[in-house]
Parts: sequence; C-alpha cells; structure tokens
Amino acid sequence: MDKAILVDHLVKNFEVTEKTPGLMGAFSTLLSPKKKVVRALKDISFSVSKGELVGFIGPNGAGKTTTLKVLSGLLYPTAGITQVLGFDPWERRPEYLKRISLVMGQKNQLWWDLPAIETFELNRAIYEIPKKVYKESLDELVTLLEVEKLLNIQVRRLSLGQRMRLELVAALLHQPEILFLDEPTIGLDLVAQEKIRNFIYDYNRKHSATILLTSHNMDDVIDLARRVIVIDDGRIIFDGILDELIARFAKEKIIKLTLTKEIDTKELEKIGKVKSIQFPEVILRVPRSAAAVAASELLQSFPVGDLTIEEEDIEDVIRVVFRGEAKKLSRK
Amino acid sequence: MKKYLSVFKISFAQEFAYRLNFIMWRVRNVMQIILVFFLWDTVFSNPGRVLFGYDRAKILTYVFGIMIVKSLVLSARAADVAGDIYRGDIMNHLLKPMSYFKFWFTRDISSKALNLLFAVGEFAFLFIILRPPFFLQTDLLALFGFFLSIALAIFIYFNLLFMTSSIPFWAPELGWGSHFLITAIVIEFLSGSLFPIDILPLTIQKILFISPFPYLIFFPIQVYLGRISGSVLLGGLAISLFWAITLWLVMNFIWNKGLRAYQASGR
Repeated sequence: MDKAILVDHLVKNFEVTEKTPGLMGAFSTLLSPKKKVVRALKDISFSVSKGELVGFIGPNGAGKTTTLKVLSGLLYPTAGITQVLGFDPWERRPEYLKRISLVMGQKNQLWWDLPAIETFELNRAIYEIPKKVYKESLDELVTLLEVEKLLNIQVRRLSLGQRMRLELVAALLHQPEILFLDEPTIGLDLVAQEKIRNFIYDYNRKHSATILLTSHNMDDVIDLARRVIVIDDGRIIFDGILDELIARFAKEKIIKLTLTKEIDTKELEKIGKVKSIQFPEVILRVPRSAAAVAASELLQSFPVGDLTIEEEDIEDVIRVVFRGEAKKLSRK
Repeated sequence: MKKYLSVFKISFAQEFAYRLNFIMWRVRNVMQIILVFFLWDTVFSNPGRVLFGYDRAKILTYVFGIMIVKSLVLSARAADVAGDIYRGDIMNHLLKPMSYFKFWFTRDISSKALNLLFAVGEFAFLFIILRPPFFLQTDLLALFGFFLSIALAIFIYFNLLFMTSSIPFWAPELGWGSHFLITAIVIEFLSGSLFPIDILPLTIQKILFISPFPYLIFFPIQVYLGRISGSVLLGGLAISLFWAITLWLVMNFIWNKGLRAYQASGR
C-alpha cells in the first residue's frame, strides 16, 4: 500500500530556559540563564497509508502536537527522518504546502476584523486555486458545515463553534490530501462537536484524505479513528486497532452476576471490587489475570443464577490513557 | 504576484476596520509636526538668523519633508512580526505556500499607501494654516535621486524591523522591548526625524553616515532639498545600496537560524 506519511526514529528536543520564581529569581535568570533540554519526542517511528484516519491520543504534553508540527514543517526535527507524500516537510516547498493542511483548535487563521469570506478569497489567491475548483470546493464545504449565513459577518462577532467551522472551510478550500487536526473540537458544545465529527468522517471518505487527529475528546477518537497511536512521554506505547487497545491496557475485567437470593455483600468484596448492586444484579471488577479464578469461586460459593465476564468499556481504557497511566501498564 | 495583490487588498481592508485608531494615529503625527514646527519657528524667530547652515525657510521645509518621508519609510506593519512570533500566529503563515517576507512587505506597502494618502491631505492642511516657506524641487535628477533613496530606505527599514522582530524566536519575552529600543530610540534619533543630522559635530556625523540610519530619513530629504548632489549623492546611494543588500543577507541568515530554533509554542 502507498505510504502517505513515514516517520522514522524521529527525535525532537527543545531547549528551554528555567525560570526561578520571584524578582531576584528573574534577575538571576537574566544574568545566568539555566538552559535545560526537554526531550519532547524520543525516537518515534510509524507510518500511515493513504486514506487512513489515525487518532493520536495521550496525556497533556506527551508530544502529540509536536509530532503534527514536525510533520507540517513548522518544527525542525533534532534527528530522524520524516517524509510526507515524498517531501521533507521542513523544506516547506510550495508544492508540499498546497497538499496539506494543519488545523489547530486554538489557533485561528481567519482575519479577525473581516468577514470570513475575505480570508477565503485570500487563500484562493495564495493556494492558486482555479476559480471553478474554488467555487465547487466552497459550496461543498459551506453546505456540509452549514455556514452559509456566516460568511459575511465579521469573524470577531461569531461564536467559537461558528468560527471553528469557518476555520475548517479556510483550511480545506485547497482540498488537501493530508489533514492534520489538532484538537478540532476543543471548547465546543456537543452539537457543534457532532457537526465537526460528521464532517471529518465525510471528508475522509469523499476525498480519500489521510487524516491525523489528536484529541482529548473521547468521542472524537471512538467515532472517527479505527487505528490509534498512543503516545506518552515522547514515546509511542501503542499503535494498532482501537479494539486492541482494550486488550492491551484494560487492567480489569467486569463480572456481571444474577443472584438467586440475597446475600451479605461483604462476602463479595473478598473476590473483587463491587461496582454496583441492584438486586438481583451485581457488577464486580476483578484483575484481568484473576478473572477465571474469581468466576469459578463465585459459581461455587454463591447462589449465582447467571454469570458473564466482560471487557472494560473503551471509555474507561481511554481515560487511563489520558491520565498517563498507560505507560506503567505497557511496561509490564 | 496575484497572491500579493490579494494580500494588499485584504491588508487595506483590515486597516479600515480600525478607522478610529488610524485617525488617532494620524492626529498624533500632525501634533508632532506642529510641535517640531513651532520649536524651530521659535528658534528662528529672528528672520536673519542662520544656525548650523539652516535658515528659517530651510529648516521649516525640513520639518515638512519629515512628514512625507516618515509616512513613506517609517510606517510599517512589519512591526507586528515580533508579536506574530510570540503569539505563535506565525504558524498560520508558515503553513501557506507563500513567502513570509513578501507577505509582510506587501502589507508594509499597503500601509504606506494608506499613510501617504493621509499625509498628503495633512500636508495640504498644515501648509494652509502655517504658511511655511517651502522649497519645490524641479530638478529631475534630484527628484530621481530622491525616489531612489526612498526606495532603498524602505527596504533598509524593512530589514531592520525583521531583524529586531526575530528576537522572540530565542527570547519570546524580549520582543516588545527590543522593538521599542530600535525603532523609537535608535531610529527616531539617528535617522534625522527629530532634527537634521548635520547640526551634530562633524566627527559624529562622519560615523553616522557609515551607519544605515541617516539614509532612512535625513538623506532622502537632503537629496530633495538639493543639499546633496553629484558625487556625494552617488556615494550616499552606494552606501544605502550596500546596507540594503547586507541587511537583507544578514536578515535571511538570522531568520533561517531563528526558524530552526523556533519552538512553535504558544498554544
């Protein structure tokens, strides 16, 4: 299969000046700055095929955004190779930039004091989009994102959700083959999130665009990405299908019981954590490795009518990832 | 080329979004001119007085010359570049198939066009109320030299601005201070926009004329006034050209370094 993105042993270090608090601290920083190297990406490698939609997840400061910035040519890699569509992103060749787009949920390119349509027209000129293509592209995006009525309003008068949708239009007018999305739904209400998600899904399908998405929004990841890359502390600790994530990081299994008569729940605590009791239904959490033993013990010593062993919810697993606890688990 | 025409247009539209702001800025300029005008008017209240080789007519022409030349040379949008880097907004530009320098140069030109438009109006207004003696240059060669020196001055100033604006690549919090130091103090003082440089002691003048600063304001005005011509004019243009090229090269070098060091932080 054609590889759209290739990342091989990528390393990115930042040099930062450490600040000592207080006025005296500020002076001493000024006179003898203490430099510290922060290792944002510690040797990561992965590749993405054309048309794939990959979710990047991990706790804050793990290196997700740094990766996207290196791939879009904003950051100069300390070591390693990155290749996107056969280009070295750092060179920022116009032919390359015309085929990609980076959308950051917290960064806007729309001209604040002017209606969004002005920015669109500017982008048409900058990306040298032929008039006909521009018109089609604009019509399609405007309809999909439902922004017809917002085009001629000064950007600063719009709500965050409206602005975000217009940002997407501005970023996609040139129909990029590769799309880097950094927290595209941050700060949006549920309806707006849904709109953006549906749109990303459609865009991926329609244009067979390759999409890399980072998000702290569980629904973004679950709804959109089949494949996820978990990054933590500058390293990739998981790269695979979303379902496999559970097998890898779920610490516990869920045992659901139906009891035939009421019993002392304290007895159940000896076997596992009791999550809920609504007689006759009981839900227990037990360590993965002890699930089989726990189940047989339950069947032997308790009045059990029915018993099932289930996986943890995907949400719970992803929560573990966002909390940065996945790292500990993957070392086991 | 079409790209930059669009940048020019949107930039112009943007300036108009802050009409009141812009008008206040122009009012400030007019006030400044009136202040400097009356200062020199008082110094030269005795009509026969000649100081530092300037009589009343010449010094007042100089003051009016400053107004036009300043709006051409020193009004520059590129002063926002430091903030662009500091806030991380520069990322939006770097992601586009467009030269960042040309983008800002175009915005500068559009800002200058607007400022010049107003400066001409103010010029007429002040001319009518103050009725200064004014010298109209008719020598085509001098006029050509004047426009050439203005073009070089614009380019030199652009490079100086971009160089000081690159400081936030390494030290994000120094952006504003350094910019103030360079533009407000060094350039205002050394370019001749507060007083004509040839009233300074000769040794200082000699040193200054090797630096790029007098070529921003003082030199073009002197060329217009016909006080600099012939071989001195050619020599001045040569130094100007030398600085324009040198600063362009240095600025490019610094920027390439800066972009590599850039941490693209700021959300």
